[in-house]
Amino acid sequence: MVIARLRAVGKALLLLVVAVVLQTVLISHVSVLGVTADLFLILTVAVAMARGPLYGAVFGFIAGLGADIAFLEPLGMRSLILVLVGYAVGAVGERLGVLSPWAVFLLAGGSSFVGQFFYALFQFVIGPRAGFFTVVGIQMFPGALLDGLVTLPVYWLLIRLRVLSTPHAESKGTSGGGGE
Amino acid sequence: MLRTQASWRRLVFVILIIASLALLTVTFRESDSGPVHAIQQAGASLVTPLQAWGAKVAKPFQDGYKWLKTLWSAHQRAERLEKELQVLQGRAIALEEAAEENERLRALLALREEGVYPDGTDFEVANVVGKSPTRWQAWVLIDKGSQDGVRVGLPVVGATPLAGETLAGKGLVGKVIEVTAHTAKVQLIIDPESGVSARIQGPRAEGIVEGSVSGKLVMDYVDRDIPVEPKLVVVTSGYGGVYPAGIPIGIVAAVGEEDVNIYKEIEVEPFVDFRVLEQVMVLLLPETPAGQEASH
Repeated sequence: MVIARLRAVGKALLLLVVAVVLQTVLISHVSVLGVTADLFLILTVAVAMARGPLYGAVFGFIAGLGADIAFLEPLGMRSLILVLVGYAVGAVGERLGVLSPWAVFLLAGGSSFVGQFFYALFQFVIGPRAGFFTVVGIQMFPGALLDGLVTLPVYWLLIRLRVLSTPHAESKGTSGGGGE
Repeated sequence: MLRTQASWRRLVFVILIIASLALLTVTFRESDSGPVHAIQQAGASLVTPLQAWGAKVAKPFQDGYKWLKTLWSAHQRAERLEKELQVLQGRAIALEEAAEENERLRALLALREEGVYPDGTDFEVANVVGKSPTRWQAWVLIDKGSQDGVRVGLPVVGATPLAGETLAGKGLVGKVIEVTAHTAKVQLIIDPESGVSARIQGPRAEGIVEGSVSGKLVMDYVDRDIPVEPKLVVVTSGYGGVYPAGIPIGIVAAVGEEDVNIYKEIEVEPFVDFRVLEQVMVLLLPETPAGQEASH
């Protein structure tokens, strides 16, 4: 039991290191539809879908801290958003059970949109000038679409590589997947 | 059992939310030398070598991607250039004016030699190792920090000439807004929070060049009575204390006027292509007696 938990923590840390490197080095240089994918959010969503709300929220918190440190952003900002996203996606995924590709896409895209909405609210508070619909059109909607599309192969790959287990296997193997 | 698990989950969730809010509050309330900032700086110092190493590994792939993109658009570009060439040939009458403009651009190229920058200014070339992931901000991370003499408030210009003897890639990039030992965060002039005091060469009109979420650069607060034509060069005016006067920013792309606005709204096309920014040059200005440049 302890070994399994340590292994899970190790995998989570490995995912974070990979996320920091890929996001800052590669993904932030490749823009599609004028936006770049948010790997921290994508991995939080993937972990939440596979492991449920508790793991989703904890991973989101740590991933958010990693992102804030890597991007020299105010510490805690992305943590707050990713905790909310991780918990919500985990709870919804748990109710849905086995997730179809469409469900993965919609969950990831939807949570990306909501995450960006909170981020936008925060940005409005601290200052940048931008019209709401402009931001929806050029950042939030394309960003959600891209994050949804990128989550599909990432989630599939993590399951195939056994970095994450499927929600179905998890609910059979442990008692952590029970509904509330 | 399930009820206990659910309660436990909710408890952890609430603790994480409170922890995030507490971190956020402390980050904004404490000074730059506070413990949370120190932890973040230490964390950033650990991440920087990873980013720098990753940037080197990713470079061939990025170059390959750019090459493919170029190849994809080469045919269309050739057709477009052909049309542009025809238009340009029809404008032979404007050659004299173009020659004058050329002289002006050449003069701008010799910024360093002519002493545009204050005495004692040094230069530090840095590689871009990270970019902002959203359009809310426009910044880049560079691989030079306080150990290289970089400090908050220093101006940054482009270091990647793209088209031979033109100003492309050599214009104003932005200013340093955060520094760690081996890395620095540079706010680009296209950032929505950026504002640069600027002057249009020719009519000498002055205003503020501002960024936006859409990535466009707009010069505001230019009096409507002053005639401004497209293709004029926009440079920094030197007001505000951050940027020395005379650094090229871009050229006037379009001039807009609204009945309800007492100022012109001028779209500026920057000399720097911020989408492909790979190298920049930090201007290591001599420190002012106060130790820091004035905020802008």
